[in-house]
Amino acid sequence: MKKRKSWLSLLAIVFLLGMLAACSDGNKETTNDPDDGNNDPVTSEPKSGGTVVGAMDTAPTGQFNPIFYQEAYEANILGLTHDSLLSQNDELEFEPHLAKEWKFSEDFSSVTFTLRDDVKWHDGQPFTANDVVFTYKTIADPEYVAAGGVRSSYVSKLVGAEEYTSGETDEFPGVVADDDYTVTFHFKEPNVMALADASFTIIPEHIFKDIPVADMPSAAASLQPNEVIGTGPFKFTEMVEGERYVLTKNPDYFLGEPYLDSVEWRVVNQDLILQLLESGEIDFVADPNGFQAADYDTVANMEHVKIIEQNDFGYQLLGFIQNYRTPEDIEAGVLEPENWVPNERLKDPKVRQAIAYAINRQALIGTKAGEGLLHGRGQIINAPIATQFPAYDGENPNQYEFSQEQANALLDEAGYKDVTGDGLREDPEGNEWVLKLAYPLGNKLREDSAPIIVEMLAEVGVSVDLQQPLEMAAYVPELTNTQDWDLYLLGWTLGSGDPDPSGLWGSKDAYNFGRWYNPEADQLLVDAVTPPDAFDPEFRNQVYSDWQVMFQEDLPALILYAQNKLYAYNERMQGVVPAVTGFINDPQLWWVQD
Amino acid sequence: MYKYIIRRILIFIPMLFALTIIVFALLKAAPGDPFSQILDPDIEAGVLDEQRAAAGFNDPIHVQYINWLTSAVKGDFGDSFRYKGREVTEVIMDRIPNTVYLGLFSLLITIIVAIPIGIYSARHPYSLFDYAATGFGFFGLAVPNFFFGLVIIYLFAIQLGWFPSQGSISSTSLTGMELFTDRIHHLILPGLTLGLASTASYMRYMRSEVLNVLSSDYIRTARAKGMSERNILYKHTLRNAMIPIITLFGFEIGSLLAGAIITEGVFNYPGLGTLFLSSIGNRDYPVIMAIAFLLGLFILVGNLIADILYSIVDPRIRYD
Repeated sequence: MKKRKSWLSLLAIVFLLGMLAACSDGNKETTNDPDDGNNDPVTSEPKSGGTVVGAMDTAPTGQFNPIFYQEAYEANILGLTHDSLLSQNDELEFEPHLAKEWKFSEDFSSVTFTLRDDVKWHDGQPFTANDVVFTYKTIADPEYVAAGGVRSSYVSKLVGAEEYTSGETDEFPGVVADDDYTVTFHFKEPNVMALADASFTIIPEHIFKDIPVADMPSAAASLQPNEVIGTGPFKFTEMVEGERYVLTKNPDYFLGEPYLDSVEWRVVNQDLILQLLESGEIDFVADPNGFQAADYDTVANMEHVKIIEQNDFGYQLLGFIQNYRTPEDIEAGVLEPENWVPNERLKDPKVRQAIAYAINRQALIGTKAGEGLLHGRGQIINAPIATQFPAYDGENPNQYEFSQEQANALLDEAGYKDVTGDGLREDPEGNEWVLKLAYPLGNKLREDSAPIIVEMLAEVGVSVDLQQPLEMAAYVPELTNTQDWDLYLLGWTLGSGDPDPSGLWGSKDAYNFGRWYNPEADQLLVDAVTPPDAFDPEFRNQVYSDWQVMFQEDLPALILYAQNKLYAYNERMQGVVPAVTGFINDPQLWWVQD
Repeated sequence: MYKYIIRRILIFIPMLFALTIIVFALLKAAPGDPFSQILDPDIEAGVLDEQRAAAGFNDPIHVQYINWLTSAVKGDFGDSFRYKGREVTEVIMDRIPNTVYLGLFSLLITIIVAIPIGIYSARHPYSLFDYAATGFGFFGLAVPNFFFGLVIIYLFAIQLGWFPSQGSISSTSLTGMELFTDRIHHLILPGLTLGLASTASYMRYMRSEVLNVLSSDYIRTARAKGMSERNILYKHTLRNAMIPIITLFGFEIGSLLAGAIITEGVFNYPGLGTLFLSSIGNRDYPVIMAIAFLLGLFILVGNLIADILYSIVDPRIRYD
């Protein structure tokens, strides 16, 4: 009797849970109305007023100074409050923004911008050329890096920046205000990336001029709502730290008064974003993470929610460690390609190519919902340049179409054969041949891809020893100094300013973790930015094309996939036209229809 | 008694000192540092090394520790690396009120719910109510926090709309009574979630302790001399049954600070738990050190409070 009673209570619990589950299932079905994205209600004239709520899955750290912040979550807020001299269109060409027009000097070593004269900071002060000078001067300040700033690459090509940063002189001739609305950037030599370098977000001189650079990150003007001053369409007016960030419209915005009264960012647990999107509590989810590919169908079935899918500026890769640094070099902290020791297990390019052929990248991506890791929401790319740039060459570099025959043939040719009959290949001397694959934590899809890659390689007889994953902070130092890893997983997010892949793939770049050393390829990267030829886009694209072919031959890494960006927004939001560079684009034109 | 308390508090000092040495050594032994996961080709070579040098990471480890200690003693825990431009004390003080509210609220729920039910169950063992309470107890212990949290958010926030689903307050402009009710409104779901497991376990403890005491000889004697059930329960049983509960309670005070990582995450209720976790991931040394120090302090104080409560509840326990 007693026994039965406790059974009963257990049953009751199971029943209760069942009810909860049924309850949530039933609700999803009721909204099962496919949305082809074209059944808009009749669009009327934009109306003023209203608020939209965006969701972020992680709280910003709270540093709202454009020259000091580092994370994409702050960028969501600064993207609405601050501006740069130039913006980029969908072809990634630079367009006027705070600057009306610009003119290069004859030798392309300097560029003069004419600024708009109708721009005001949020506190009503006029925006002038002095603000531009001040911004760049601050980044070049001797104290800037020690104060936590990392954007010094924006000034390093300017005339006199080095002397100014080292404290040798108080003069900063790199950026000069010719008059209130004219500013000239002087570069040490003709600069192919001049426009990208000149489009850093501008900060107000009148706010920061009396604050020593070392104290800038902790100044109220960098941290507090209503104290953070920009020129953008919205002002940062209220913050519940870690929870809510409210931006109120700037009626004096130079591209016109925004329609919306306010934009509010809410920090929301990732597991709840879709629920809240469905219930209408949040209106959109966008950068940096969007929503998960696995949820695509769920979101598509939400009656009032629209999806935008577009290419991302980034990729995931399987890196091949071709060389190791010597322990002496690691100790000394130098990157000397001449000293590197080749990785015997991977030094034959045929082996790397075989591995590339053996990995079924389409299977990792999948072709439709329920398939692969990305449910079809990604692309195969064959060079480490974002496909949005004309510099990306999708044809000439080897495409490595999945082919186990090719892989087997290449491995046989290279002498890696199975002599022990255990189904796994030995090296040409007949010794055991095991590759160590390392990967970091922090990206679920990447973590899931590691064991799949191991299996794919096992199918062509390559034995892979999967290492324990490490958290990113531990992984990067290990990867930098590794003495025995062979393969590694990593992802990169690329900038939209310029396609130049140096910084990641030059042999002396710290991030060239595979220690790829090919002087010819290095030379191409230099040629691509060396004037005067580099000012000819065709020449530049050709050089990058040659470089991409070389990349695919040498295979410092196999680019696994580029994940698509998946944005979702409530259809009451109108005027949403994301740029290729991100969701926030002309937010002053957003409006709501209720 | 006072002597005892003062002696105990003096012992805190070497214990906390040892704690900071161990935590500091462990942190430095772990691979990586606050800059090691910053991967950005836009950052020029040498910039991060310059920042490491500025942060003093190139000094010998004992120098770094002594530097930390000398400023910590003065109450300066340094600047956070991740929360750039902000002092550690400020970052932590931002979170402490939330943590304390959430912890106290869930403790309140636990005590209000668990102790009466436990007593009732013990007095009426194997009744329908007892079985229901036992069932609830197993349910509470078995259901993972995050799942329970998501379920009640779905039911009470999204479907019924009675409570907010995320966050700790709805606006910074609220004051006075409005602010208070708004906070409570935001506290109920996370408080229930956090309190569920401890309610279940307190209830089970209470039930078994009371049952245990009720069957002891002195209770039988009390009954034999005709004492009322009421008196037996409140005068003789409860006092003795409370002792293990107080032990639990002492631990609870310490873990109040750190114990809510998952609940804080599900409800995006910014408290110390999630801050601690993310700081470890980011190797934000100054924040980790300060929180570890606080946790140590709270656990020590919690235990001290428990010890003092022992002597109040149980006259046999005397400190001198």
